[in-house]
Amino acid sequence: MRLSDSLGRASLFGISILALIFLAFPLLVVIGISFTTTEYLRFPPVGMTWKWYARFFHDASFVESLITSAKLALSATAGALVLGVPAGLVLARKRFPGRQAISALFLSPLVLPTIVLGVAILQYASTMGFARTFWALFVGHVVLVMPYVMRTTLASLSGFDVAQEEAAQDLGATPLKTFFLVTLPQIKPGVIAGALFAFIISWIDVEVAVFNSTPELITIPVKMFNYIQFNVDPIIAAVSAITIYVAIVAVLLIDVTVGVEKATTRRE
Amino acid sequence: MRINPWSAVLLLGVPVAFLIIFFIVPFGTVAVTSFRMPDGGWSAANYEKIATDAYYWGALYLTFKIALWVTLIVLLVGYPLAYTITYNVRNPLLRRFIYIVIVTPLFTSSIVRAFGWLVLLGRKGMVNETLMSLELIDKPLQILFTEGGIVIGMAYIMLPFMVLTVASILQNINTSLLEAARDLGAHPVVAFLKVTFPLSLPGVIAGSLIVFTLSVSAYVTPSILSGGKKTVMSMLIYQQYAATLNFPFGATLAVALLVSTLLLIAGYLLVIERHAKG
Repeated sequence: MRLSDSLGRASLFGISILALIFLAFPLLVVIGISFTTTEYLRFPPVGMTWKWYARFFHDASFVESLITSAKLALSATAGALVLGVPAGLVLARKRFPGRQAISALFLSPLVLPTIVLGVAILQYASTMGFARTFWALFVGHVVLVMPYVMRTTLASLSGFDVAQEEAAQDLGATPLKTFFLVTLPQIKPGVIAGALFAFIISWIDVEVAVFNSTPELITIPVKMFNYIQFNVDPIIAAVSAITIYVAIVAVLLIDVTVGVEKATTRRE
Repeated sequence: MRINPWSAVLLLGVPVAFLIIFFIVPFGTVAVTSFRMPDGGWSAANYEKIATDAYYWGALYLTFKIALWVTLIVLLVGYPLAYTITYNVRNPLLRRFIYIVIVTPLFTSSIVRAFGWLVLLGRKGMVNETLMSLELIDKPLQILFTEGGIVIGMAYIMLPFMVLTVASILQNINTSLLEAARDLGAHPVVAFLKVTFPLSLPGVIAGSLIVFTLSVSAYVTPSILSGGKKTVMSMLIYQQYAATLNFPFGATLAVALLVSTLLLIAGYLLVIERHAKG
């Protein structure tokens, strides 16, 4: 190998390794700080303590917003699945005019600014009389996460052998039975991956939730966002670290069900 | 699967109705509100205010400037990383590990990520202390609350999007083309510039579009890392909706941001198309 070859290769590796460190480091810093014994933020941490986690769990308002976030993320994911999977099925199996336009409609929340979706839901809910309620958060998040469910569902359905469904129906199975016994088991990994994406997008959202929250009804990212404006102490590092652990679990679950690489780089 | 027409209408109709009611109509409400006046009348005065006040042009300019820098940096860092994992990492376990490292930040709230940078970039933060102990600087740099600090924090948020988009295109490039170029004696750099890079352009274009649009509308990162000293459009929109409670003017700012972003993207795509033809 020529010298210029190995130089090029070395710089390529160098940039890649630096990029990976760049990606991992801030999260490791946050986790590190959450264990410091000092009263102020310090990295590398001094000593090792769980007290910031204990303080977090003793603060009812933090725990409450953690529960609100979990409820919201679970229900928005369920809503997006109930609406998105059947729609994906029809879009994948039926040919009709306007099909492309409807697919685009389902994916469009992905490209429009989330902050505009947030204010749109606030304004709309104000006119309709449900501003700053759980329902406003719920519908906003269903819209927000629907594209993720849709994308993976459509991708799994397009790589699916239609003959199996037809065989089941020819043998007398109802469409409903065919769906649950033939189609669903095969597209399950894609649907699960989509659901995990949907859950996490709702779980980490600030832009929609910030406009539709009240001091009592507040998700954990918005709570953290408000807290960070006035106090910066290791409690916030502990809360942040908890959300990082949730992220790691979700990524590992996706890796086990469909593989992170496949789930994040597959093209439709 | 054969689905009878009535079930199809129902299965597709309900979700479409949901999106019309809770997505299209709300966006329409914002657009309509932007033409409303406090006295209940209709006028384009809000747009006039934005168009004639240098302050708003400044915020718009800063928003796009930051988004452009972020896109450029993320492309320069993300492309080599995508290239390396696609072509040079053969070990499946290492590959999985690298993908997990790339995706985990994506699954973490932007608050948490901005918070990490808040700690790292401070006057007594690790970045400044390292630079000082290496004697590269003799007094701490002001990185936080500057445009540079916002760009670093946002590039961090956007990097995974670029890597994943470029990698998904690189995976599908037929490597035999590259091998043919090498067999015919092309220098690796030449082979890359003449074969791989042109074929990966769709990924570069898609990735930069995603990163640019997300950067333009990002709210959390600039608001935390600017410390209120720099103002981008999303922060102005937030002020109008959450503090000033002037919905019509907030709506106008949102529409202005949306329309100018779409115009820039359309222009970018037009240039690319011209270039591809010419």
